[in-house]
Amino acid sequence: MAKRLLDKGARFIGQGITGFEGSRSLPKMLEFGTQIVAGVTPGKGGQVLEGVPIFNTVKEALAQVGQVDGSIQFAPPLRVLGAVQEALEAGIKWILTGAEKVPTKDEAIINSLVKQHEAVLIGPNTAGMINVAKELKLGFLAVADTNKAFTEGEIAVLSKSGSMTAETSLHLKNNGLGVSWAVCVGGDIIPGTTFGDLLLELEADPQTKASVIFGELGGTYEEQVAELVKSGKISKPVVAFIAGDFTLQLPKQVQFGHAGAIIEGERGKPDHKRQVLRDAGVKVAENFDDIADLVAQAIK
Amino acid sequence: MILYEYEGKEILQKAGIAIPNGQTLHSLEDRVNFPFPLIIKAQVLSGKRADNGGIIKVSSEMELVENLEELFGKIVNKETVEKVLVEEVVEIEQEYYLSLSYDTDTRGSILSFSQSGGTGIEERGVRIFPIDPLNIPSSLELVEGDIPKDLLTKITQVFFDSDALLLEINPLVKVASDKSQESRGRKWVALDAKIKLDDYAKARHEDWNFPPRGVPGYSPTANEMAAKRIDEEDYRGTAGSAYFDLPGDIAILSSGGGVSLTALDALIKAGGKPANFTEYSGNPPKEKVAKLTKVVLNKPNIHGLWVIGTVVANFTDIFETLSGLMDGLRQAQTELGTKFDFPIVIRRGGPRVDEAYTMLKEVKDFDLTLLGPETSVSQAAEIMAQKAKEYEQKHG
Repeated sequence: MAKRLLDKGARFIGQGITGFEGSRSLPKMLEFGTQIVAGVTPGKGGQVLEGVPIFNTVKEALAQVGQVDGSIQFAPPLRVLGAVQEALEAGIKWILTGAEKVPTKDEAIINSLVKQHEAVLIGPNTAGMINVAKELKLGFLAVADTNKAFTEGEIAVLSKSGSMTAETSLHLKNNGLGVSWAVCVGGDIIPGTTFGDLLLELEADPQTKASVIFGELGGTYEEQVAELVKSGKISKPVVAFIAGDFTLQLPKQVQFGHAGAIIEGERGKPDHKRQVLRDAGVKVAENFDDIADLVAQAIK
Repeated sequence: MILYEYEGKEILQKAGIAIPNGQTLHSLEDRVNFPFPLIIKAQVLSGKRADNGGIIKVSSEMELVENLEELFGKIVNKETVEKVLVEEVVEIEQEYYLSLSYDTDTRGSILSFSQSGGTGIEERGVRIFPIDPLNIPSSLELVEGDIPKDLLTKITQVFFDSDALLLEINPLVKVASDKSQESRGRKWVALDAKIKLDDYAKARHEDWNFPPRGVPGYSPTANEMAAKRIDEEDYRGTAGSAYFDLPGDIAILSSGGGVSLTALDALIKAGGKPANFTEYSGNPPKEKVAKLTKVVLNKPNIHGLWVIGTVVANFTDIFETLSGLMDGLRQAQTELGTKFDFPIVIRRGGPRVDEAYTMLKEVKDFDLTLLGPETSVSQAAEIMAQKAKEYEQKHG
């Protein structure tokens, strides 16, 4: 299986990079040192954006710039399935796709395709990922002001929410801690990458000493982390914060922001998640501002 | 969107899955054209209708009229009954539970199946089979039990074709064989249908003309409906789609899914009492933010307004959205004929935040507190809770 956490100098194409989010993200990614070697937008072939050549198809782009380590997609939600298919068929094994509101059926088909091609997918509905030391800024995470929130360090920050990926990194920075990998996994029902997938890979990441997960109500991805910690597959310290207690005061079966943030029956309640994480040995922050202290204790 | 039973059954029927003969009544005036006995079923979104008096068997015209009079307008699990489904009785040989949905463990679609259906399904043994949308036939090969494969295929296909998040048939029944003549040769009938459609797929389903509705077991408030309309009337960015009234005194305008959850939890921990939950995100124009501002302030006894979001927004134009906030505040004052002198605490950041804060520093007609990246969401919550409490003590 392909790696989710790529190396410094990795080369990318940007699908849909000429659109609103793509064209605003591109200069910021390039400034950061990330190598975006080509863009793909049907009908825009031949243009050059920020010095990056644009092609009509992924295959045309790769014929010109050679195989790449990944594709960063800014395609709109109903085009994501097609964009993923095109990238996989061109032999790309790593895809990050940002669109919010991708139909869940498409995500199920995408997950199946990605598996068939032995590839990996971050997202959909991810703001992106950042590694300061590796000069990787992939997607639109903290696009306006990356340096405000992210400083180089040893802590991985994993979050369903893009803005809380940045806020958690900022909180660590304000408390003298830096970040190795900051990854928004997205808050969809069946994302391509989960907390568990990343924590397993971070076990072998020399840069990372401990991880923080920002979880929220709904789904079972936090519970899966508890299982992995309990079974010893994850041995580096994990600190967790789970948001969404107040939603228990509101009607059930309501979606809060993210598609996966929904409580159906007893599953997905924040206090239940905290309990199973605590039982597994994960340090759970009751208050968001306590996260840095727990991390500092864990890596002492 | 969750469909009413009669809407779900229409989808099943179109896909060639048998449902009981019946009709949907919109009022007491509607004539019933089927022989007795009949089952009458209140059309509400929440489950456990039988336990709440929403499903009744009637054997005569008199019983039918009596029960319909009772049922129309009745509150079943906090929802008002506006439609009633009337169906012929189906003679059952065996009941099954069958559903298709998406599952966070397999990160794909699953078929859940039990040899015994009916109410109380939660306690029965349900078996789960992963379904690969790219290979439905071989996925269904693995499904055990005596439901014919062609029926399973039809049900699975309609689940995917209609972009459902959930398709639950409980019960799916095998019709008693000696009665099959009466049930017009049908061997398998879906006695119930619960379908939840994926709102994200709406753009590719022109046939989705379902009237607006709330959530199961809940009747929306006037503010909640007003907030929802803001997004329905203008697709740019998101403002108001998620709005709920809460019993507190601090109006909330929060941004971003994760931050909103963190913020409300933190405010409650700090002793503050939110008057609502709502969220705006993406890049809404200032008119939408102004409208949402007016909705959150449209209630008595507000002791504070908290504008809370990340300080590192990706694309939200902070100058645009905070200009909308000021417009909304001034319009609401005029419309309500009042003066807002309660504390307004703002913690925001992102594109054009410097311009926005420069503009807000010039504002003299409101009590504004401007916070930035040096103040965490939790610290901002404490400041808001404290200021609202002081305001309440001073003004009673």
